[in-house]
Amino acid sequence: MNESAQGHLASKHAILDPALALPFPQAALPILRDPQLRRNIAHATDIIQAKRAKLVAEKTDWWQLRDAASAIRNHALENLGTYLEEFESRCTAAGGRVHWAADAAEARRIILELLREEKASEVIKIKTMTSAEIQLNPFLQKAGVDVFETDLAEIILQLGEEEPSHIVVPALHINREQVREIFARRMGLEHLSDDPEALTAAARNYLRQKFLKIPTAIGGANFLIAETGSVVVVESEGNGRMCLTLPRTMITLAGIEKVLPRFRDLEVMLQVLARSATGERMNPYTSLWTGVMPGDGPQHFHVVLLDNGRSPILARRTERQTLKCIRCAACINTCPVYRQTGGHAYGSVYPGPIGAILTPQLEQMKHAQSLPYASSLCGACYEVCPVKINIPEVLIELRARVVDEERDHSKRLIDPMYVGMKLANFLFQKAWRFHLAQRLGRIAVLIFTGHDGWIHSLPGMGAKWTQTRDLRGLPRQTFHEWWATRAREKK
Amino acid sequence: MRASLFITCYNDTLFPETGRAVVGLMERLGVEIEFRTEQTCCGQMHANTGFRGEAFSQAKRFVQLYRDAEAVVIPSSSCVAMIRDQYPGLFEELGNSALREEFSALLPRVYEFSEFLVDRLQVEDVGAWFPHRVTYHASCHGVRALHLGDRPYRLLSKVRGLTQAPLQNVDRCCGFGGTFSVKNAEVSSAMLATKLQDVMATEAEYCTALDNSCLMHLGGAMHRQYLGMKTIHLAEILANTESSSAEATQ
Amino acid sequence: MNASDQSRQNILASIRAATRVGATDSLQVAADYEALPRTYIRRGELSNEELCELMVERLREYDAAVTECAPEALAATIAAQLKASGWQTFIAPTNLPADWLTSGFNWKIDRKLRTEEVEEAEGVVTAAFCGIADSGTIVLHHSEAEGRRLLSLLPDWHLCVLRASQLVETLPEYFDRCKEPPHLATYISGPSATADIEMTRIKGVHGPRFLVVILVRDV
Repeated sequence: MNESAQGHLASKHAILDPALALPFPQAALPILRDPQLRRNIAHATDIIQAKRAKLVAEKTDWWQLRDAASAIRNHALENLGTYLEEFESRCTAAGGRVHWAADAAEARRIILELLREEKASEVIKIKTMTSAEIQLNPFLQKAGVDVFETDLAEIILQLGEEEPSHIVVPALHINREQVREIFARRMGLEHLSDDPEALTAAARNYLRQKFLKIPTAIGGANFLIAETGSVVVVESEGNGRMCLTLPRTMITLAGIEKVLPRFRDLEVMLQVLARSATGERMNPYTSLWTGVMPGDGPQHFHVVLLDNGRSPILARRTERQTLKCIRCAACINTCPVYRQTGGHAYGSVYPGPIGAILTPQLEQMKHAQSLPYASSLCGACYEVCPVKINIPEVLIELRARVVDEERDHSKRLIDPMYVGMKLANFLFQKAWRFHLAQRLGRIAVLIFTGHDGWIHSLPGMGAKWTQTRDLRGLPRQTFHEWWATRAREKK
Repeated sequence: MRASLFITCYNDTLFPETGRAVVGLMERLGVEIEFRTEQTCCGQMHANTGFRGEAFSQAKRFVQLYRDAEAVVIPSSSCVAMIRDQYPGLFEELGNSALREEFSALLPRVYEFSEFLVDRLQVEDVGAWFPHRVTYHASCHGVRALHLGDRPYRLLSKVRGLTQAPLQNVDRCCGFGGTFSVKNAEVSSAMLATKLQDVMATEAEYCTALDNSCLMHLGGAMHRQYLGMKTIHLAEILANTESSSAEATQ
Repeated sequence: MNASDQSRQNILASIRAATRVGATDSLQVAADYEALPRTYIRRGELSNEELCELMVERLREYDAAVTECAPEALAATIAAQLKASGWQTFIAPTNLPADWLTSGFNWKIDRKLRTEEVEEAEGVVTAAFCGIADSGTIVLHHSEAEGRRLLSLLPDWHLCVLRASQLVETLPEYFDRCKEPPHLATYISGPSATADIEMTRIKGVHGPRFLVVILVRDV
């Protein structure tokens, strides 16, 4: 295995905690310098994008489905209280127990209490990014509960002590040699090849006994159906089916925004989700269950509804659409920024475009303030979003909120960007000011302008430009000066 | 007909030749071009960096300046996107209904450069001559905000002597993104490197686009790295004829 | 009131403040729901013959083994498939039609079978509720002929009997067929797969690695 792969695996990323993460531009640097990683990310995202594009082109009513999906999600959010109560009532009537967690700490506490009730010292888990959001695994481990991830990607991450970098394919940044190394080391399989078939078989064997023996499972939900109190889990591998069928107790952790009004709404959501997430007409396994079914599956079922910063987002007109997200990751796959940096640079379990708008909001805008700026506003994400979240619009709104907070800070006066923006606005108010600034600027950059008429190096913020790009020197005549001269000459 | 040129703050300062080309072309096509000297900036840079309050005043100035113009032509798709996509929200927030009405009346008369030619003047062959191999980069705002579609290609296909070299991943962002290019300079440069791979693979002599912002980013790297390609705004290609060849290109 | 009840109240209050919807608006909510735009395809146009063709094509794309037969040949076809599998021990849901239980094999009818017994079996035979041709999806509602969920999950070989009369073209048409929402449902669109390693699609992680479908031409 080459050095850079080794180096990447050896570096222990801090838990993807937005409160502790480096700002995006800094966090991206080591990843930009890792050719292996960049290759893995580009390779993976190119493949998924192509698959998605093919299936969307084939679906003649794609735009109508997208409109309906967006409308259903908007309606569900507009009436979230009503639908959550309906879900709770139906689920409870069907034998489930519904718990409400205001924040991550409360969710962790509730889950641990439920495990104590079950006297559970081990749990099997279906992949759920929501559990990563609340940092559940380390909390449970500390409390003496062994947590076994069962999703292949999550096993890779868990055994490799890595962090997820994508919400659908969390180990996308890890290639087969790296997986082989992790499995060989942690499963004691020295002669394991790096053929993905062999690796997958190793995972299958590793998990079989766990599925059959461990009586408690924790998972998430793709959708909660208000009309029936049902939970829907969409997956590819079958580990979800194992976890929601075999154990005695099932605990589902779900963000409050996951609710859909009716069973029927799945006819839209499932069509757009599979195509957007994995480029398939339908994923291999989708499971729907309602409360408890005597004689079939877990006889104890709990749903933990999580707020953790979601309800304040509902209140904001432009930002509310963030909650429409169905976690398909199409935006992540298409993002040209993500393609270069991968997920870890975002310092959150939610990376890419959706992460850039969701993470700072879940943190009440106190952390992750660099994330709304981690975008060139190209709009590719909005184009592929199956529920029409106008991510660029939300990014711009969040940038305004970040700046508005800055306005109260005395530090702003030494921030070149802040000062520059205020100055530019002042200049733009009057043409004569702008023109004067142009003339002064033209003179000022002369010392930086080479004989070839180009600028190769600038100081201050300009250095950020010239570190990789030249800048043509300012022309001797602005357009408006040319126009004025021409007008005079005509006379 | 009469058209008012909004040159944009950065074109005025950095790419006056694009403005000169627009004027030359329009006059050749029989359009009377006027230039309102009070113009400065559309406010995009401020709005997109989070300085929304500052963008308000620039938006107001724009509307007040052009409220009576027959048509406004803008050789920058990102600025037109700002006006189409963000001005409505800004004016609604300002709560000034007179201003909103004025803006609504003005909006249909605001055109991106290629839109003005194809949609308003209904012309695709502008009598241009540019005997070079050229690749076209589709700027993000043009593709996704303005839905320019194949207008630029139709214009290019009528240019005598010009060979179009199609660009792979044509609508993948070049990485400029306004202040993103300095706030996230390293990521911006990585995106630029990826884009340049595709651009250079076309083996074109020139890379063209409808936005000098993208072009200065691409062209800046081409120049730094002594790459055998230059950038040129589409207007300058279209303005070029046998008798008036394009000026000092980038 | 305990902590969870307090949180419940707080969360709902926060949501209500954000959405400004009152408790008396349930009629309005229902009306708004009915008014949501649904201009997507609600109904397919294929004949049953074409549906069968499409379903078979999709199933084969997913590497399911598919055989078609006339209704009167069903029992024999099942027998042939069981024989071809090379396996001996099969699980049967409680109410599988008797003539599907080909003699000469070791049948375990699911009368409260223990998990270990299901795990030891080599295959399972089930009916189905519906087949969605567009995506090659088999729908199980886990009736007594389809069996509880464990049965079609643990064994490595799953023979599913699907009738042509159960086929629809589009997903919305499946929902039309549901007189009421199912309590339990499993939607199978091919054998288990993962693309977690370098986006290489690998089949058969968990769940039956071999899916055999008999399509009964009963239309």
